[in-house]
Amino acid sequence: MSVQAPTANNTTHSARRALDRLTWMLVPAAPFLIVLLIWVMATGILHPSKETLPPVTDVIASIHELAVSGQLATNVMASLYRLLLGSVLGIVTGVIGGFIVGLNRKMAETLNPVVVFFNALSGIVWLPLMITWLGIGTALAVFLIWNTVFFIVFQNTVLGVQLVPEVLEQGVRALGAGRMETLRSVTLPGALPYILTGIRSGLGFGWRALIAAELVGAASGLGTMIFDAAEYHRSDIIMSGCLIIGTIAIIMDRWLLLPIERRTVQRWGLVSDAEARR
Amino acid sequence: MAAFRPARVRGFGRLAGPNLRRFVAGLLLLAVILFGQQVYGMATANQRLDPSLRGATGPSNVVVVLDFMPERFHNERVSEYGVFAGRDGALNRIRLRMVSPADLRALSDVAWVAHIEPLK
Amino acid sequence: MNLARAPHAPAAQPLPVQAGLAAAVRQLRGVKILFPFVVLIAIWWTIQATGNFADRVLVSPERVFDTMVLLISHGVLAEYISTSLTMIGIATVVSILFGVPIGFAVGANRYAARSLEGFLRFLQGVSGIAWLPLIIIWFGFTHTTTLAVVIYTLIVPIIFNTMVGARAIPEHYALALRSLGAGRLRLITDVYLPGALPSIVVGLRLGMGYGWRALIAAEMLVRQGGLGDLIFGARTSGQIDRIIGGMIVIGTLYVLIDRLLVQPIENLTVARWGVLRK
Repeated sequence: MSVQAPTANNTTHSARRALDRLTWMLVPAAPFLIVLLIWVMATGILHPSKETLPPVTDVIASIHELAVSGQLATNVMASLYRLLLGSVLGIVTGVIGGFIVGLNRKMAETLNPVVVFFNALSGIVWLPLMITWLGIGTALAVFLIWNTVFFIVFQNTVLGVQLVPEVLEQGVRALGAGRMETLRSVTLPGALPYILTGIRSGLGFGWRALIAAELVGAASGLGTMIFDAAEYHRSDIIMSGCLIIGTIAIIMDRWLLLPIERRTVQRWGLVSDAEARR
Repeated sequence: MAAFRPARVRGFGRLAGPNLRRFVAGLLLLAVILFGQQVYGMATANQRLDPSLRGATGPSNVVVVLDFMPERFHNERVSEYGVFAGRDGALNRIRLRMVSPADLRALSDVAWVAHIEPLK
Repeated sequence: MNLARAPHAPAAQPLPVQAGLAAAVRQLRGVKILFPFVVLIAIWWTIQATGNFADRVLVSPERVFDTMVLLISHGVLAEYISTSLTMIGIATVVSILFGVPIGFAVGANRYAARSLEGFLRFLQGVSGIAWLPLIIIWFGFTHTTTLAVVIYTLIVPIIFNTMVGARAIPEHYALALRSLGAGRLRLITDVYLPGALPSIVVGLRLGMGYGWRALIAAEMLVRQGGLGDLIFGARTSGQIDRIIGGMIVIGTLYVLIDRLLVQPIENLTVARWGVLRK
């Protein structure tokens, strides 16, 4: 008889745990649902004009229309292409620059004020100047993204390189390793968590900078789509655009970058902030 | 003689002194940036306003004289003090009508206005 | 930072020597900070002097300087700077007033924190600028629009960091004070607020960085005064001197505010309450 009781306890216990886990996974959806609810209620009660607050159905319809007509794909691809181009440039220059500066303490100190200043300037502030120099188009967007991504990756790389314990580098050197060998086997893996965090941050910021960059009207892209829609007061398209931008940001960060960061860092058995936080 | 300000501020540790100094310097700088020109304008207000206009009790008609060619910015700002009534011979001489005494005082505080003369 | 060395002089050392030494150190640091900029300006001057650039493309440093002096004496710069600073100031105050309480309220509950985290990340992914067309439809081309965008950008990191800060406070601090008879208010002022404060201030600093950039971008589109308006407006009339000068002002202003006002607050907060930070 007393054998029965523990079994009953076990099932309710594990059932509750499963329920807890389910709630834990579903809970992030709550604010979105709440906003959706408020949206529907506001449309129903206040009857705002289609321009001010398009009804949810309109927005869904316009997303569907964009997807079907292929416009969505074109614009998303155009934006992502620019992001990719600018980010790759930014990451490469950022990492290389970061290593050069990180390994040289004197240079790091001297350059610091300049880096701080241009960091304050990064992104959209370059827009007027760059329109004059580069004109409107892909080059402009790529520059702005490069600018944003570079500074973040650069600073994180410098930090990562500087934080590699000197002892490790000296140890490898004492065993006869050359400069390149030390860099490859000690500094690079040591700085890697920071570099990856920098890349992840940089891409997030780059994506946001991209939309701002497209505001002057590139030929295509999500930002352009939104601003064109603004001219015709198509708020439903504006909404759709914003939602899609946010969704891509989340997909990119959670499903693409975070796993990469985790897996690469885990492979080298290193611990980073992101690791500890997750 | 420079007073020796301690770095320690009770409860805040060794870092407090320099940080407080920076913060105060920052506030001062901010004040100068935000209000510097205004204060200068107010201090020099007397030189700006023509003696015949001082102590005006009713609306006056004036010519606002600038010592540079005004941009749209300046035209807009000047027009806030009265009714814009065209130029007075040159582009940097702006006619304003019906300027109330309060507006006249405010206008005389503006640093980038060179002179305010009565409109003849 | 020579903080580790300067004021810790032994009592035996005479005062004048110490003051002289400190003065020399300070002087050296000022020069050190300016040196890379001097080099940069020299490079700029050389490029402009040797290249055959039209005035619309690149002007000399002295030209930019002269223009800036002009703008100051004409009262233009003072007003534009004032507008921008006022905007960021108001946005900061509003974001703190609303963001911190929300952060605390949500941070109290595990599930609420987790749900809001996802939502905030989504909002962060959709930059304020993407919402700008919609906000312009709602509020027109006014300062309210600019303010809305900047507050949106600023408040997210503040809420986020307040949440993180509040959740990081070990339970036993609050319990200890409770056991001594502390009431609700006492708990907030003596445990929660100080405990979360370092994190909140970090969030504030981050937010102000994002917010400043968002402000410039918004001003470029809304065109109701402010530094963004200045540099964007100068583009149409091809006034490169104003664009470059404006950019320098934007960068310098941000660096000044960040280093002289915000960073000291961060340092003081960490110094006082930083024990709970990690």
